Amino acid sequence: MSEVGKVRLRVPASIKPGDVIHVRCLVIHPMERIERDKAGKIIDKKYQYIDTVTVTYLGKTVATFETTQSVSENPFFAFAVKATDPGKLTVSFHDTHGQKYEGSVDIAFS
Amino acid sequence: MRRLVLRGLAVLVLAAGCATTGDRPDYASVPRWSTRAIPEARGDIRIQPDGRHVAVRYAGWTTRDYSGFRSYAYNDTRPEPPVQRVTMPSGVTGDPKRGRALFLDRAKGPCTGCHLVPGEDVWPAGSVGPDLSTLADRKLADAYLYQQLWDPRVTFPHTVMPPWGAQGVFTPEEIIHLVAYLQTLHGPVAPEKDRERNPFTRSKPVGFGDNLDPTNNPAVVRAESAEDAWGRKGPAGKSCADCHAGGAHKALRGVAARYPRHVPAYNRVMAIEDYLTVHGPETTGQPLPIESAENLDLTMLVKMASDGLPVAIDTTSAPARAALARGKSTFYRRVGERNHACADCHTPDRGANKFLGGRLLGDVTAGLTRHFPTWRTSQNDAWDMRKRFQWCMTPLGMNMLAADSIEYAELELYLTQFDNGKPLNVPGIRH
Repeated sequence: MSEVGKVRLRVPASIKPGDVIHVRCLVIHPMERIERDKAGKIIDKKYQYIDTVTVTYLGKTVATFETTQSVSENPFFAFAVKATDPGKLTVSFHDTHGQKYEGSVDIAFS
Repeated sequence: MRRLVLRGLAVLVLAAGCATTGDRPDYASVPRWSTRAIPEARGDIRIQPDGRHVAVRYAGWTTRDYSGFRSYAYNDTRPEPPVQRVTMPSGVTGDPKRGRALFLDRAKGPCTGCHLVPGEDVWPAGSVGPDLSTLADRKLADAYLYQQLWDPRVTFPHTVMPPWGAQGVFTPEEIIHLVAYLQTLHGPVAPEKDRERNPFTRSKPVGFGDNLDPTNNPAVVRAESAEDAWGRKGPAGKSCADCHAGGAHKALRGVAARYPRHVPAYNRVMAIEDYLTVHGPETTGQPLPIESAENLDLTMLVKMASDGLPVAIDTTSAPARAALARGKSTFYRRVGERNHACADCHTPDRGANKFLGGRLLGDVTAGLTRHFPTWRTSQNDAWDMRKRFQWCMTPLGMNMLAADSIEYAELELYLTQFDNGKPLNVPGIRH
């Protein structure tokens, strides 16, 4: 089942030292939008959506994205990273309900 | 605008030259089928209080009623429109400028969908028909060109070009303007600045990446979302998982490769989509009308379970053979305002592998169905084969049939036999 919080990360199959690689990631998440009642008034509740995305590479945070409710459900992010050394690249998603979803991929040179 | 008096217009009606492809298939054994489609996908025509006919189609599609033209319905026994031999009316002087505007008018042909002409604004031109950039150098008579535009079947009985005048798409006056424009197309042609403008040198689209990668193909996420429905109990108290143990990927691996097939229980050809419309209500009690998101997502889940397996449809039984013969006949049947057959665009000796406007036409012999349902990057949505059929047929000027009609199922059967032995690729991703 496509459970909430499942993270898929893709990097190129072949990476050489110093390459600028495109990382693509997809997370299954409802990204709740603002709801209104019949009178058109915004329903006041704690909407669940991802508000921070952190990219960690070789133990260092290399990028953070602050996201809002305007991002679609099951959001897709793509960014470029310079692959300097082999190691782990982790993308973590934090939502407003305190949940944390994480995906990681090993950058290996070939 | 001055009304053209068509005095002396001699319309000679020749015998209808039906393109027959062997013996007439057996239509008497086709069962009746009442559609189980969402309202937009039934091909309904509504009559407004003021008497206007409005076709019920998907949001954003034309609502024009094409009842006046032949369709693929098996009970539509009208013959092909008769070939019309005409003489060019006098009394109107052609205006090349207006002719060029008509040539490019997307609400009409557009002629540029098939023919290349000079001009930076001509984009994207197609290559189904001949390049007309230097047509005037051939010194063809105006009357000849007029007849070609009115009804080219007089000279070329099996042409792909629609009989524009005979079918009423262009008026006689408009065709005179078009002829005047064509007679200005003298060579030599200026060197091409952009090789993409010219459909004969344009690069052909390459792949769309891994179809099962959810970061590449959004349809995968939709198919996965159907796993919730798979495990959910329907109104009858059962879920798909209760009978098909182990999840769709285990329980149904290989099943979709055998569809469409003739299902004896319903005495008709069914694809997965058709089967779900009856199988859902009969088992879990869950209605799954064709073209609903529930039906489409579940279809993708079921077919994804067979991704990579070779298509293996069996058409050896007598009812399947009869269905195949009807499907083939449909493929070659000329229909609609444009009087086109599927074969006109999708067989290699006609339009296949050429550009229709900016779109490269698929080749039936390479197989057209094994990646359906597919994510359409141009529509930002997942479509099954049937919606693709309906989409293909509406601009041809023909009323679409219900998505789960027997006609479509048998056409899909005919197309799928070309995919036999080639790997299923579902959900696909294409333009």
